[in-house]
Amino acid sequence: MNLIRGFATTIKHVFEEPVTIQFPEEERPVRERFKGRHALKRYDNGLEKCIGCSLCAAACPADAIWVEAAENSDEARYSPGERYARTYEINMIRCIFCGYCEDACPTEAIVLEHEYRLSFNDRVDAVYTKDMLIDPVPPGGQDTPQVTEPGKFTRSIPEMKDPD
Amino acid sequence: MTDTVTITIDGQDFEVPKGMNLVDAAKLHGIGIPVFCYHPKLDPVGMCRMCLVELGNVAIDRTTGAPELDEQGNPVIRWFPKLQTACTQTVSQGMVLRTTSDMVVEGRENILEFLLTSHPLDCPVCDKGGECPLQNLTMAYGPGESRFIYDDKIRLAKHVPLGKLIYLDRERCIQCARCTRFCDEIVGDDVLAFHERGRRLQIVTISDPPFDTKFSGNTTDICPVGALTTTDFRFGARPWELTEVSTICPYCPVGCNLNASTRMDREFGGKAMIKRIMPRQNERVNEIWICDKGRFGHHHSRHEERLLAPLMRNKSGELVEVEWPAVYKAIAKQLKAHGDQAGFVGDSTLSNEDLWELRRLAELSGGSPRLGLWPATMSGGDVVAQVGVGSETRLQDLGPGSVILVMASDFEEEAPIWWLQVKQAADRGAKVVVANARPTKLDRYASAVIHYRYDEAVGVLNSFTAPLLSGDGQLGQGNGWGALQSDLQNAEVTHADTANLLASAENLVIFLGSEGLTLEQHAELMQAAANLLIVSGHVGRPNNGLIPVWPGANVQGAWDMGFSAEATADLLANPPALWVIGGADVAGEDIRMATALEQAEFVVVTAQFMTPTAAHADIVLPRQSFAERAGTYTNGLRRVQRFYPAQGPIGDALPDWKIFAHVSAQMGGPRPPVAAGTIFRDIAQRVERYIGMDYTRLAWFEPQFPDVGGDDLYYGGTAYSNYGGLGLQWPAEAEAEQPQFSVRPVRTAAPQTDGLTLVPVWVLFDRGHLFEKSELMHHRMPQPYAAFNPDDAARLGLTDGDRVTLAVEGHELTVTAQVGDDNPAGAVLLPRRLSGDATLSTPAACTVQKIESMQKVEG
Amino acid sequence: MAHILLRDLDIPDIWQFDTYVANGGYEGLKQAIGNHTPAEVIQIVLDANLRGRGGAGFPTGRKWSFIPQNEAVKYVVVNADESEPGTFKDRQLLEKNPHQVIEGAMIAAYAIQATAVYIYCRGEFWDLAHALEERIEEARQANLVGENVLGSGWNCPMFVHLGAGAYICGEESALLNSLQGLLGQPRVRPPFPAQKGGGLYYEPTVVNNVETLANVPWILVNGADAFKQIGTSESPGPKIFCMSGHIARPGNYELPLGITFRELIFEHAGGIPNGKQLKGILPSGASGPVLRATDEVLDSPLTYESVAKLGSTLGSASFILMDEDTDMVWAAAKMAHFFKHESCGKCTPCREGTYWLERIYERMMRGEGTEHDLHLLNSVPRQMVGVVLCALGDFAANPVLSTLKNFPDEYERYIRQRPVREQTADTLQDYARKEAGEHPAAVGEGGL
Repeated sequence: MNLIRGFATTIKHVFEEPVTIQFPEEERPVRERFKGRHALKRYDNGLEKCIGCSLCAAACPADAIWVEAAENSDEARYSPGERYARTYEINMIRCIFCGYCEDACPTEAIVLEHEYRLSFNDRVDAVYTKDMLIDPVPPGGQDTPQVTEPGKFTRSIPEMKDPD
Repeated sequence: MTDTVTITIDGQDFEVPKGMNLVDAAKLHGIGIPVFCYHPKLDPVGMCRMCLVELGNVAIDRTTGAPELDEQGNPVIRWFPKLQTACTQTVSQGMVLRTTSDMVVEGRENILEFLLTSHPLDCPVCDKGGECPLQNLTMAYGPGESRFIYDDKIRLAKHVPLGKLIYLDRERCIQCARCTRFCDEIVGDDVLAFHERGRRLQIVTISDPPFDTKFSGNTTDICPVGALTTTDFRFGARPWELTEVSTICPYCPVGCNLNASTRMDREFGGKAMIKRIMPRQNERVNEIWICDKGRFGHHHSRHEERLLAPLMRNKSGELVEVEWPAVYKAIAKQLKAHGDQAGFVGDSTLSNEDLWELRRLAELSGGSPRLGLWPATMSGGDVVAQVGVGSETRLQDLGPGSVILVMASDFEEEAPIWWLQVKQAADRGAKVVVANARPTKLDRYASAVIHYRYDEAVGVLNSFTAPLLSGDGQLGQGNGWGALQSDLQNAEVTHADTANLLASAENLVIFLGSEGLTLEQHAELMQAAANLLIVSGHVGRPNNGLIPVWPGANVQGAWDMGFSAEATADLLANPPALWVIGGADVAGEDIRMATALEQAEFVVVTAQFMTPTAAHADIVLPRQSFAERAGTYTNGLRRVQRFYPAQGPIGDALPDWKIFAHVSAQMGGPRPPVAAGTIFRDIAQRVERYIGMDYTRLAWFEPQFPDVGGDDLYYGGTAYSNYGGLGLQWPAEAEAEQPQFSVRPVRTAAPQTDGLTLVPVWVLFDRGHLFEKSELMHHRMPQPYAAFNPDDAARLGLTDGDRVTLAVEGHELTVTAQVGDDNPAGAVLLPRRLSGDATLSTPAACTVQKIESMQKVEG
Repeated sequence: MAHILLRDLDIPDIWQFDTYVANGGYEGLKQAIGNHTPAEVIQIVLDANLRGRGGAGFPTGRKWSFIPQNEAVKYVVVNADESEPGTFKDRQLLEKNPHQVIEGAMIAAYAIQATAVYIYCRGEFWDLAHALEERIEEARQANLVGENVLGSGWNCPMFVHLGAGAYICGEESALLNSLQGLLGQPRVRPPFPAQKGGGLYYEPTVVNNVETLANVPWILVNGADAFKQIGTSESPGPKIFCMSGHIARPGNYELPLGITFRELIFEHAGGIPNGKQLKGILPSGASGPVLRATDEVLDSPLTYESVAKLGSTLGSASFILMDEDTDMVWAAAKMAHFFKHESCGKCTPCREGTYWLERIYERMMRGEGTEHDLHLLNSVPRQMVGVVLCALGDFAANPVLSTLKNFPDEYERYIRQRPVREQTADTLQDYARKEAGEHPAAVGEGGL
């Protein structure tokens, strides 16, 4: 009796649709709030949201983030505020994808996105630099550094959602 | 004791010194009363109202003057109906404070809410964020949220340069006036002020050039918010990411304790790098202040022109890179060949350990070691050992009853922090006597100013000593007393009032420089000062004695290690065939040295940069800067202080001691020591003055008051607690239990002849081969000039701005003439290290030729 | 009865030296120097119980007696920085009866054996200051001021100094700072001006109001008892009442202390014009709390004590009267603006609090006031009172708290109906630009 019940279960599953997928040909969509690889965001005009404040590094429990800041000028402007991240690195081996950096960010510059395909042959490759993390320039925007007119960006932290 | 009173804070009784204000009194016992405007080094002003406390005094019966007592016999406390500011109230017997009551808590919350109405919330980018008193106190005492509508916040300029070193963020300023008060009270430079009133109240600079003071960086330390930031550190790192490394300033004899704030940096190859220099509190040395030279002069340590590998001349005479073992061998070979004729010169930036190993090398080379010291401008290391200022001297203890004589020194240019402390001593009531051939900035705080001709310097001191020699004297006969007495019996007493002042002083400190004096003359001047101190009995105790204004950070240490300026002079007079020069840019600074090196057979130089000296060398060895290595410096007060490696190494550069030790090993000496501490142990065994010292003892520290550093919520960022060591002072011979004093008559200099004398003088912001590399300070460095007295200028037909050629000892120098009333007659003042051209170490006769008048230049 | 202070109303030419002397002028000074020691002069003024007319009502004789006698350098400073809104009594005294003030100042100087007298005039009094210098010169020629005054061997020159137009410089320690050439900001006390270290150039100093000193010659001539016959026992002597606002006959009235509000307003000053009802009374310019014109108030006597009992201050007795049509919230807004403008900025609660209050009132005037604002108006001034460095911060809270207490209905109206009283044209950016100020002294980027 038990035997029959057991086989019945097995047979039932044989005819069910399989849950495995053929990765990497196929990819399973992730949940909206999935925390994958980080991205550094830009405003619509192409300026970087990151102001190099290092709060993400301070919040990081795994000490995976390294930030070095520098000062913007109107001749070479990266972010709308006074300061920007000259160096921005995340060590993906160290990262535990907890999302504290996202929470700490005062300008919503760092976002954990849906990319999860992270594998490396070398530990040095695991260090994602700013070039690798930053979003592409949105259409209509300009790449950084930008030349901006003097007097336009005078605040230390930008107050606008999207400067024009 | 009558010096203390008992006060009650939050129910606990404490003994506190009389006259102390409540903030300090509470702090003394570990109770924090938060402040913004108050700073223990500044007078209280009661502006920020953060230090509100509930305060009660013992009620005094008006008729009897006795305290009123209640039924139990306890004194009745009369409480102030309103909160009082703790910083403006001084303690009195029986005073009662509440610092944690509801009323106080609410009062603090209210003040913080007010302060935050106009303060921007840009902590994420603010350089002060993380060590900001406003941030700290808001977290500790502030209201949870502000009721002020965010959109109503005022927006003001974020980026107002106050000069080229300091930026003002007007939004962040909370109008505490610490910076203006620092400039007014501590420095006495009228450079910052408030402008406007009310919400418009703002800091402006009122000097031209803006923020014209040598101490501007300190305002950024004491600023309780991020309103003042230095251009040097701007966005360099967040404070919590920095590692603080204790170090010592390598520039002047004060020996300021510094903290190098370091952090690893990608652009510096991932190595630790100095991001900024902060003062480290040492109440015995620099308190919590440093000058702008010390603060911004660290860039040489990682300048791109640093030498990275040893260089040796090849057969065609070019300097080419070689490996270390090759140069060790080459040097050893040369030393073996010329050993007994070798001359060794150690720079004032070399640590005691470097100098010691250089001496060991010299000893191994055979003959009697010829150990020259650079800069060779001052004599008298032996005199300092005898009558140097007493141990545990604190310049901030000098007040009423103390007399400070500053002689032959442009004090602010040569030892800025001492200048600051002497200025403050004068403010407290100490009498300052300034003697020099020309007016200096200290004159304005002086009780007496004596302007002499350069050749009269010794005579001035003798005239102070002469009246004191009337009796037998406490020294008894012998010890040169009689000889001095008969020598000075006919001395002219030219400054009787000042002589009286000095003789009757409770404490007497003499700061002695060497402006306008040759080495021989200076040796006599030192002895004359020693005579005065011994005869007037101002030796052998704290706050009394001689402080030499040495021409560098470790000149005292060099004397202790056996180096001397006289030896340098002797090396010049009888040049050796082989020179080993440690660190110094002798050829870049002295034309006689340049000639001597040109004629030498073989020259070995350790250098950070390709200096003129290095260019003369046959072997150039890359040395490490003070930032990369450990060592000790001995300052002008004979305090031996440790510095620690702060910055990652650059290239193949090595510390000087290692280089010399390796050569010694090649010469058959012992195996090179592994660390600087090992060498210091050796020093402590063989140099008598250093006996008993070691690296552990030098690193001792104790809590210092006022406690402004470290974990403090409200003085945070001001300066750093000293965990690197307070250093040890070796005692002068006069402090021995039964000191042997001896005085001797001194020779006065021959009167000046009609000709002109070229007098090298110091300027703080010079173009010395290290400081020049701090490019942000270039705007503060004067253009090269030679200063003339108007009479001399008229005789020579010179006007201000003319180009002139100065001929001295067969060398020619071309500079711009500056004519001013303050310049002494018969002398041409030539600042050292202002141009790439070498000048002179000590005065010499010169002739002047006008080559181009100002008008032509303009045309 | 002849006037004691406003003698120009009886003798129009009293400002002239000869007329003044012909009418008994400088008799007080002559008596003081001729018949009394300095200590006796202080005792006479103490006996007369003359109280300071500048606002605080502190006994003048006591103030003089605080001056240490053994100091070599002492000063008398005459506070003629009359900048309280609605106050114009000192101006009339200095314009029309200047010699009496000079005489009073010299008596004060004699009493403390001062080495110099300074008259600090507000910046707008420049023509008056020039005229005053001429009057002093006349007195100097007559040996009443300057070297060897009246042959007594005592030297005391007198100088006139013009301020630069700041309300805060009416506060004595700010005045001393300003006189010394420093920024006009109050000093921390102690040390008080009368003490070494606290006064002008840090020497002991007496600072007296113009009107106070104008009383002194009369006291010297007529004696302390005669002075005490006028007014009440606690507040003796004549007082000048400055009447302005909604009043039929505005101007200065010299009356004995102790008359009632009703007598002053309706009998002497002619009542409220156009048959309107009286609504609000400011008894001491902008700095004192506003009173609601109830019968209880109107029947109270005008002494320092009784006005205090009503919850206000007599202060400089500058009455600003407001009739039934006055919008009390608007009036409070105007006063909030005044104090924001005049705050020196030295201490936090006043600098920030006055600014905050002004912003709240601006919102209400634009018709954007909320319940929250009402709550703030109740609490922000209370955060300022008592913790500020000088009295200005307390003054700034007075109009707000007193109008809230006495006229809550009018505030309700602003919150409920939100009338647009005044469209403050400034956007915040304009405001900030204004705040930033333009000044050549600031290096580099000014403004925004």
